[in-house]
Amino acid sequence: MKVTIDGRELEVENGTTILQAAQKLGVDIPTFCYHPGLSAPANCRMCLVNTNKAPKLLPACYATCMDGMEVKTNDEKTLRTRKSTLEFILLHHPVDCPICDQAGECVLQDNYFAHSAQPSRNFTRKNHKPKATPIGNNVILDAERCIVCTRCVRFCDEVSKTNELQVVNRGERSFVTTFPGRALDNDYATNTVDICPVGALTSRDFRFKMRVWFLKSASSICSGCSKGCNITVDHGGGNTQRYRPRENQAVNRWWMCDPGRLSYKQFQDNRLTDAQIDGVVHPVREALSAAARRLRSAGDPSKVAVVPSLLMSNEDAVALAVLTKRAGFGGWYVGGRAAGKEDALLQKADKNPNRAGVMAVAKAFGIETNPLTALATAGASATLWFGHEHAVDPKVLAAVQQLSRVVVASNASEWTAGASVSLPSRTFEECSGTWISVDGHLQRFAAGPEAKGASVAIWDLCFRLLRSLGVMDVMPPASPDQVVAEHGQAVPELASMPPALPPAPGRPDQLRKARAA
Amino acid sequence: MGYKVARPELNIFEKSYVPEILKGVGVSSRHFFRNIFGKKDIVTVEYPEVKPDYASRYRGHHRLMAREDGTARCVACMLCSTACPAHCITIEAGDYGDTDVEKYPVKFEIDLLVCVYCGMCEEACPCDAIRMDSGIHTPSQMYRKDGRVGKVDLMALGDLSIAKQGGELS
Repeated sequence: MKVTIDGRELEVENGTTILQAAQKLGVDIPTFCYHPGLSAPANCRMCLVNTNKAPKLLPACYATCMDGMEVKTNDEKTLRTRKSTLEFILLHHPVDCPICDQAGECVLQDNYFAHSAQPSRNFTRKNHKPKATPIGNNVILDAERCIVCTRCVRFCDEVSKTNELQVVNRGERSFVTTFPGRALDNDYATNTVDICPVGALTSRDFRFKMRVWFLKSASSICSGCSKGCNITVDHGGGNTQRYRPRENQAVNRWWMCDPGRLSYKQFQDNRLTDAQIDGVVHPVREALSAAARRLRSAGDPSKVAVVPSLLMSNEDAVALAVLTKRAGFGGWYVGGRAAGKEDALLQKADKNPNRAGVMAVAKAFGIETNPLTALATAGASATLWFGHEHAVDPKVLAAVQQLSRVVVASNASEWTAGASVSLPSRTFEECSGTWISVDGHLQRFAAGPEAKGASVAIWDLCFRLLRSLGVMDVMPPASPDQVVAEHGQAVPELASMPPALPPAPGRPDQLRKARAA
Repeated sequence: MGYKVARPELNIFEKSYVPEILKGVGVSSRHFFRNIFGKKDIVTVEYPEVKPDYASRYRGHHRLMAREDGTARCVACMLCSTACPAHCITIEAGDYGDTDVEKYPVKFEIDLLVCVYCGMCEEACPCDAIRMDSGIHTPSQMYRKDGRVGKVDLMALGDLSIAKQGGELS
């Protein structure tokens, strides 16, 4: 059937909403309550548009197209309605933008400046509702700012299916809250903060940390488990400040879990920023030659046990495989984080983001892999150890502490303490690379915050260590992509690398500036 | 690339220097006696005992205004540090744990050596918290780090404001 939106014709299928048709044409219709991942209750009335098929305006997010429908999103009646709707929504809004964390990425701010921009005509006292009320471990509710779009209620009903939230009272006194005796503490609770168009629900973790316009964004992948949820790393002041989910219909749709969202913290505590030889800080160059000396003095190179980190990118794994093969080291002992909680939505029991990738590389290079527990009885004389995140096994820990250890890690942990040589590696946030998720998705992540201290990417360290070990005929590649292009041909999983990432999806304030330019 | 500057030719009197030196001594002596016997003509002000007339919009040392309970009016909205063209304002926000106030500056630092005294911060402030009307010049410092003045120093210059915080109808 044929619809006409603002004079432009479009052929649509039966059941297409006016909003979907408008989005296809690139026509902007403002919304609050509509979210593509949730049902459309059409209760905010922001998307009302004028059509020739009904005497009153129709909500674009809910009304479906009819044959021969002519939609006007810019005529005087629609614009006047939008202005009135916004005046109604803002009637009791506290306008405490200066202390609201949402300011800068607030849909209400954006829509107000785009469609209303008039001073308040309210001369009565504003309604007061509960402010700054923690309603769960990760979420704070400010009921005054709420515009009762019910996105959060629908999220808990339809996506997390935990039903904690409901709207209470009627009319201007209505607000969102939890059912009595319940808390918004499901594993996906902070998604309600993302989808809240205003500052009614804010994150307790990000609360007051930084104004959003100071943040820079990078497209990345969550390292919390093997699901490979697409995220945006927001960083400012040299540190990661928060993770946000990034839409990928094949993996995580619009969502991510709370443990994954808070997983950035494990890379911030006890960061290793300098290379150390026997606990004394040295330049990385000297530490590399010391590491080569220690590994060589261990005698038979096949007695050197290599422990890869499962946070390594495929590029790092290929570089390590080249190092293992050319230096003649023994097999890989694969550890990683302990298995954890699994659920039907996103969380996976395997908490290691790139087990699939590291194993694929080991297989393609013909490297023998053993579980980390086997290291205790392997009779190794030295170990080249990657990562701080491996689950602690007292028996293996005791065995490893007896060995001469070269440790490459981004953070300090039991495994890195007392290493003979320790080299600082970058976290995945500071590198670009690819991971293979448990479902076999090969996904790219881009570098976000600047690398801390003297830290070096693992693939770079591997090739430099190879030169320190006296293997001079391997040219160190210039980029992670080059590592795969030159050395990763044998890995079938890396045959078709994903294209370079587009710039991180902007926050509303950045998008607004881009539109204006 | 350099270029040639035409220099004036000196005549015979100027080349001999003596008349020019006497002229210079004459000017200096005239000022010397005028300063000693006719003090009214001196342009220099004996600061800080004597102060020049400031324009009413003179922007001096910043100060942080206080609420009636003695806390800073600042709600750490960071609009001043956003507006600041010199990036000299560092604010760390904290949670007050009080539903009336919510947000407050744990740290509020201005680097006076970086500040360009443009007054954008006081213009951006929605709370009448930061002002530049103290009329005090930037103090000189021995070390660069002393140019960073904190919340305590800024509030020591501060005062109560008659502006009502949080709007008129609350």
